[in-house]
Amino acid sequence: MTLLEIKGLSAGYGPLRVLHDLDMTLESGERVGLVGLNGHGKSTLLQAIVGLTGWQSGSILLDGNEIGGRRMHGAGRTTPKIVRKGVALAPQGDAIFPGLTVRQNLDSGAFSARAWRERRKRREGILEIFPPLAKLLDQSVGTLSGGERRMVSLGRAFMGDPRIFLVDEPSLGLAPIISRAVIEALGKIDIGDGAMIIAEQDLGLIHGRVDRMLGMHAGELKQDIGDALMVGHPEQAPTLASEIEL
Amino acid sequence: MSTEASKEPVVREAPRQQLVGRRRLLLRIPVHADRTFRRRRWPWSKTSVVSVSGRFNPKTLGRERFVSHKAPLWWLVFLVLTLAIPLIAGTDKILTIASTFTIYASINLMWMLIMGTAGIFSLASLAVTGVAAYTACWMTINWSLPWPLMFPVGAVAGLLVGVIIAIPARRMDGMYYALLTLGVSEICRAYALQARWIGAQSQGSLSGGGGFIPDDIRFTATGQRIGYIAGFLLLLAALATYRLVNGQRLGLLLRASQKEDEAVSESMGIDFQRARLAVFLISSAALGVIGAFYAGYFRAASLSLFGTDLLLLLFAMIVIGGIGRAEGAVVGTLVVTVIDRYFIDTGAKRILLVAILMLISVLFTRGGAFGLKDQWQELRAKRRSSRRAARSTRRGQVLPEEAPDIHDKSLIYQRRYDHAQREHLKALINDDLMEEHRRSPTGLHSENLERVMLYFRKNDLAGKYCVYAIEPFKRYRIVALSGLPGVPPRTIDDRVYTTIDDAYHAVFLRRVNDLRSR
Amino acid sequence: MDWFVVTSALSLAAMYGLLGIGISLTWSSIGMLNLAHGFTFAAAGYGAWWASKNLVKAPTSGTDALIVGGAGILIGVIGGLCVGLIAFLPLHDRPNFPIRSLIATLAISLAGTQVFLLWFGPLNKPLPKVFSPVARALDRPKLEFGPISITWDRVGAIVCATLLCVIVLTWVRLSRRGIQMRAMMQNPEGAALVGVSVRSTGMLVMGICGGMAGLSAVLLSSTFFVSPSAGTQPLAKGLVIALLGGLGSVPGAVIASVLVGFTEALTAKYFGTGYTLFAQYVLVFGVLIVRPRGIGGLLAQVRE
Repeated sequence: MTLLEIKGLSAGYGPLRVLHDLDMTLESGERVGLVGLNGHGKSTLLQAIVGLTGWQSGSILLDGNEIGGRRMHGAGRTTPKIVRKGVALAPQGDAIFPGLTVRQNLDSGAFSARAWRERRKRREGILEIFPPLAKLLDQSVGTLSGGERRMVSLGRAFMGDPRIFLVDEPSLGLAPIISRAVIEALGKIDIGDGAMIIAEQDLGLIHGRVDRMLGMHAGELKQDIGDALMVGHPEQAPTLASEIEL
Repeated sequence: MSTEASKEPVVREAPRQQLVGRRRLLLRIPVHADRTFRRRRWPWSKTSVVSVSGRFNPKTLGRERFVSHKAPLWWLVFLVLTLAIPLIAGTDKILTIASTFTIYASINLMWMLIMGTAGIFSLASLAVTGVAAYTACWMTINWSLPWPLMFPVGAVAGLLVGVIIAIPARRMDGMYYALLTLGVSEICRAYALQARWIGAQSQGSLSGGGGFIPDDIRFTATGQRIGYIAGFLLLLAALATYRLVNGQRLGLLLRASQKEDEAVSESMGIDFQRARLAVFLISSAALGVIGAFYAGYFRAASLSLFGTDLLLLLFAMIVIGGIGRAEGAVVGTLVVTVIDRYFIDTGAKRILLVAILMLISVLFTRGGAFGLKDQWQELRAKRRSSRRAARSTRRGQVLPEEAPDIHDKSLIYQRRYDHAQREHLKALINDDLMEEHRRSPTGLHSENLERVMLYFRKNDLAGKYCVYAIEPFKRYRIVALSGLPGVPPRTIDDRVYTTIDDAYHAVFLRRVNDLRSR
Repeated sequence: MDWFVVTSALSLAAMYGLLGIGISLTWSSIGMLNLAHGFTFAAAGYGAWWASKNLVKAPTSGTDALIVGGAGILIGVIGGLCVGLIAFLPLHDRPNFPIRSLIATLAISLAGTQVFLLWFGPLNKPLPKVFSPVARALDRPKLEFGPISITWDRVGAIVCATLLCVIVLTWVRLSRRGIQMRAMMQNPEGAALVGVSVRSTGMLVMGICGGMAGLSAVLLSSTFFVSPSAGTQPLAKGLVIALLGGLGSVPGAVIASVLVGFTEALTAKYFGTGYTLFAQYVLVFGVLIVRPRGIGGLLAQVRE
């Protein structure tokens, strides 16, 4: 079943146009990897789905309902509404609340009344996925390390029980061991009939953990590049997006 | 062959024209080439009287000049009218309103130096004026100070108060400081009300002081005219001070280092805090002089100088006019003073009007009334560029935003034509064509090859590939011409060709490669 | 121990504290310094006066007092929402929001004063004492135990204000909306991503603070009169409390309100009521010179 359908999406900031007429579909139950170099539009695509870009045009259909659409200015005005429809984004800079504790940060992700009532249960579910957070529940988030902050950000996004889970560069700024742990934890999250998009620069991390891989280059999407990687030397699959010729 | 001509003419809809840029109304003065470099300057300086620029007009093929900064002309008109109208009208009411306007405008100009240039959000400026007024007035009453000395006394008083207020400014955040300065007025007000030694009469006001208008003619038309002219001179002095501080070194230093980049500018050697303090102290001293003028004009110092009503009114003036430009302060003051004093009979409704104007100004404009033009143009440019980015499919040769600034429009068309031609030729080039050239670089060619070669030949000399004969008939190389007289061509690579046909083909291949990669 | 001064100080602290905490809360959650709080205060006072003229008849019974008080709080909420509608909603995502919203609130308070002047006239309007029913019910003019004798007004003010403050602050700390409010100020992008609409949460804050100002107006107006510029002095005192407590620190504002209450009571006793604001500003100056972040800054240091 098609969960998300994007048609002719263009988006940018001011006079700069980043995405050019993108088309994409997302089926329920699948994990998709989005690879590409920095500056080519991966983050912009994820932000356009939640409405955080400067302007966008084109249509984004979630379960057949239009959530995107033509918008000329006002980044973030429609974002709360889109988030409440079940789209969660864990952005590149984590965007967690520095003055609150870990527990409060996680609780802030439970924005609906039902999620709030079940917040303890959901918190425990997240602690199972990210065990290091269990000891840090009452610590202020400003004192945490990068990896722990990333876990808080991902956990918070998941507290709202989203249908579409967008993750923007989970390995950014993290040591290789920790980023591997984070990606493995992401793999353990049960997405049910929802979907997940992971935007990553490091191919080796997500290779094999996602069902499908899309390539992003200069604001344009190339579908299904996974096979392209397998041609040639499967043992030496390129680890950086720059090594693929898109 | 010509029997096919019976088909209908194809009507193609002209593509919709999108407007770009904006029209600028420039007064153009045609000038003879003889006078191109002559300009009138202020004596003993290098500043032009009127700022005129000249340029070549490719349409009329002549030289022309235009006034590039019209603001000084507007100022001149405004000041002449401001001086003339009240003097000519001469009625009591108008002259008092006009004098009040000059005093308030001067205060606002100095206040704007503090808020706009120095970036210190201080609400104590009126209190500084008040303290100076009280000091000057008190001294004329108790120490028989002659009226010319009121001004230096006022300046010193203002400076001292400025020093006291400046001390917390460094340590405190903007909002805290603003609220704190609100308290300065209150402290002064309570003190003036209660302190006995000031000798204040009813409602805390001090009266019976000295002044510069002789007492006997004070309420006559002549006296009022003298008072107004004095006020006008005060306004000129305030404008000059604003211009000198804001437009010269101090102001430039401060504007170059905005508050956010304080650390950056400090690391570049700009002593930001010192410059700010200097502007603050100069403004405080100036406010003191204005306070002394107030005391000299009214021969009294009123408690309203410490009240929140007047402070709010002055604040409304600079908000409506626009913080950051001298025009804004003066015109805002004019508008509000007229509403406040001329229509004083309508009571509370006029203050309501002022409050509504203030609200409209802060909600919809970014720089008050005088920022409107810039704001409108910025908004238009932003909307158009976003829409254009969303709509454009052509990664164009000239960005539409640049087009109005390229004076010779034929350049734009030339680039567009060139681009179209290149796209057409790229489609023509294929392996057969290149093989054809390899077989015979010179001689009869097919139409497509001929078109391509003609395009290459027409290109600009700068960077053109050419065959260099190291040894005629034996060895050849490829070089690229520089296009500049006296500059030798540069070598491309080390390959040496033994026949000239090989060399020609190599040049052709390079040119094709360059064409494709553009 | 002059119990009169102490009770007076505490009741003043309670009433002005409602305003000061409202200002601090507004600043810390939406980043707006609400100088139109005095307007909301005066509007609530007029609402209560109107209710007392038209909905009840003297002598006031228990329910009448509740109606008058409720009207005041309701008008306070509406006033707060109006201020939010004009000064917060249009400006919150534009550049220079703190200064522009400050100017807008100033303009609202200026306009509001004139509107009250035009509509109700310049004369002072009296408000009935809302706690007199209690005195009549218990048949005692004052609450007395031991050497302490407090009027019911003071008792009522302290109890009601403290109760409302405790309710509001607990709600802010523990409830879902409260956490969302705090989140909003700390990271607007993150708040948007957890479904917090800055606009609706901001209006909620304005409404709550308006209600607190409304209660303060009802409590204070029993002692003072309602007039068009009745809001300026309480606003100034609320600002002093918010500044002293450290803008944005609610615990600091609580402590500061007690300090300010004592300053006012002592100054009124020994120097006269004309000097009270003067003394309070001197106090604020003194503290801020030494501790530029106010009492809240002190608290934060102690906690670390």
